Amino acid sequence: MLDFERQLVATLTDVDDPGLRARVAGFVEASLHAMPEHLRLGVLVQSVAFAAWTKIAPTDDLAGRLERSPIPLVRQHVRLFRSLVLFAEQELATTA
Amino acid sequence: MRTEVLVIGSGAGGATTAAVLAEAGRHVTIVEEGPWVDPDDPTIEPFSIQEMTTKYRHHGSSAALGTPPIAYAEGRCVGGSTEVNSGLWHRLPEHLAEEWAEAYAIDGFEPATLAAYAERIEGWQSVSKVPAAPPLSSALLERGATKLGWRSTEFPRVFRYDAGHQRGVKQTMARTLVPRALAAGAQLVPDCRVTKLTTNDDRTRITGARARRTRNDGTTEDLTIEADHVFVCGGAIQTPALLQRSRIRGRGQVGKGLKLHPTIKIAARFPHPVDHGDVPMHRITEFAPNLTIGGSASRKGHVALALADAAPPRTDFDDALDDWENVAVYYAAIRSEAAGRVQAIPGLEAPLVTYRLTDGDMSRLARGLVHLGELLLAAGATELFPSVDGGTIVRRHDELTRWWDAVDRTRTNLMTVHLTSSVRMGEDARRSGADSFGRIRGFDNLYVNDASLLPDAPGVNPQAAIMTIALRNAEHFLATTP
Repeated sequence: MLDFERQLVATLTDVDDPGLRARVAGFVEASLHAMPEHLRLGVLVQSVAFAAWTKIAPTDDLAGRLERSPIPLVRQHVRLFRSLVLFAEQELATTA
Repeated sequence: MRTEVLVIGSGAGGATTAAVLAEAGRHVTIVEEGPWVDPDDPTIEPFSIQEMTTKYRHHGSSAALGTPPIAYAEGRCVGGSTEVNSGLWHRLPEHLAEEWAEAYAIDGFEPATLAAYAERIEGWQSVSKVPAAPPLSSALLERGATKLGWRSTEFPRVFRYDAGHQRGVKQTMARTLVPRALAAGAQLVPDCRVTKLTTNDDRTRITGARARRTRNDGTTEDLTIEADHVFVCGGAIQTPALLQRSRIRGRGQVGKGLKLHPTIKIAARFPHPVDHGDVPMHRITEFAPNLTIGGSASRKGHVALALADAAPPRTDFDDALDDWENVAVYYAAIRSEAAGRVQAIPGLEAPLVTYRLTDGDMSRLARGLVHLGELLLAAGATELFPSVDGGTIVRRHDELTRWWDAVDRTRTNLMTVHLTSSVRMGEDARRSGADSFGRIRGFDNLYVNDASLLPDAPGVNPQAAIMTIALRNAEHFLATTP
């Protein structure tokens, strides 16, 4: 995962337990790695672009800013990460 | 490695093919890209994160590109998608068999013929209804339908209910036809990805396949498999991709015409707990086959995802998720008039999948969402979260009208688990890549025998149609190939 993606995952993760946070991040990383190559490439390109954008216009509400974007592609990007984080948080907490 | 019949893929089509041919005395080798996973492993619960990471291709993170994109899931393990699906059993509707036979000039596709094959498989697979009352999540569908005067049906499943197994045991391919094939002498090679089919010089016969097997220690070895006959049974995405990687185009039809059931969801909150361990067996058949309403997996992770799809205010989301034991996920799936495409990309493992819904499809999805909402309110739901980004959380019937305009191409979250029709069957070479029994045009000994052959999406869970057609085609092969 890129640093920007790690930051996004950390922002989206709600749980406090450091062990569970690490397992959630691990699941997201493994899922991104398992994606079809062309889809992963698209996500990477978007992440690089959004990382550059947040350097130019820093924000304390990274996920919120992306989710409120009028551009569907931007919202889909954060939705992908939110879905992976949410599923992992609920499922891994159950099996912890 | 040498074999008489090479079967690539071990899902509903591949396992059926392998079992029938092996039991007829043919020397069969099954090559499966995914691993063998013990179907009785108690640490892998149905629809869990463990199942997703061990049995799903790409951990379940695939999508057909389009506006909107459509997320889809495929199994990738011995048994294929039968290991991860709901196990619902719907015979191919007779009127569809008749329509397809005429439109695609399919020989030997009469409803009575198909029914006889389906009946045999139903015996093999212990197709049956739940012996006791269905779970509440399923009964709620029936309750809503009764109040609205709509037809609903409890469908049977490929489940066995032996003493001590009240919940039943799903009769997946890893439990049934793969072991049958092995008992009849077939060989199974898991963790082995076929990269390319090989041909003779004039490209009229397949000579075998090249494959890469992953050993238990993670190292790999390249294999060359020689075969007299090859059945490609990798499903509607992987089968055309393998054929394309092997420069086999089926006269331009391979990978064209992909069909799927676009599915829109609602997380429904009830004033009482709902079960979460199973998938409802009832389906609303009032609008079938063009629109089907049913229930989805509803573990806590699925509930969270479905709630988040509506992008509700944080307080509403947290409140509903805290109450997740009262929430279940339901869906409306349509038969789409659009068609997609599968295209192998040189150098990449995964093919590009595209699917562009028509305006009519979007309208049908909106109608499906509203009907699903009506049903769930009638069943007693108190709060509905649609899988539409920013979609209104509905609490009363009159609020449902807001969803008509909410379902658009930029905010609607769709998924599917039913993919078909990427190498359609029939005698009309302008519309189909394979003949009436799955033989690829231009080759004497190359067959497809999986969901790819269905000429269109059936509007119901396709496993029964896939297995019925696979049995029919395997027996035709035995009858015509010494």
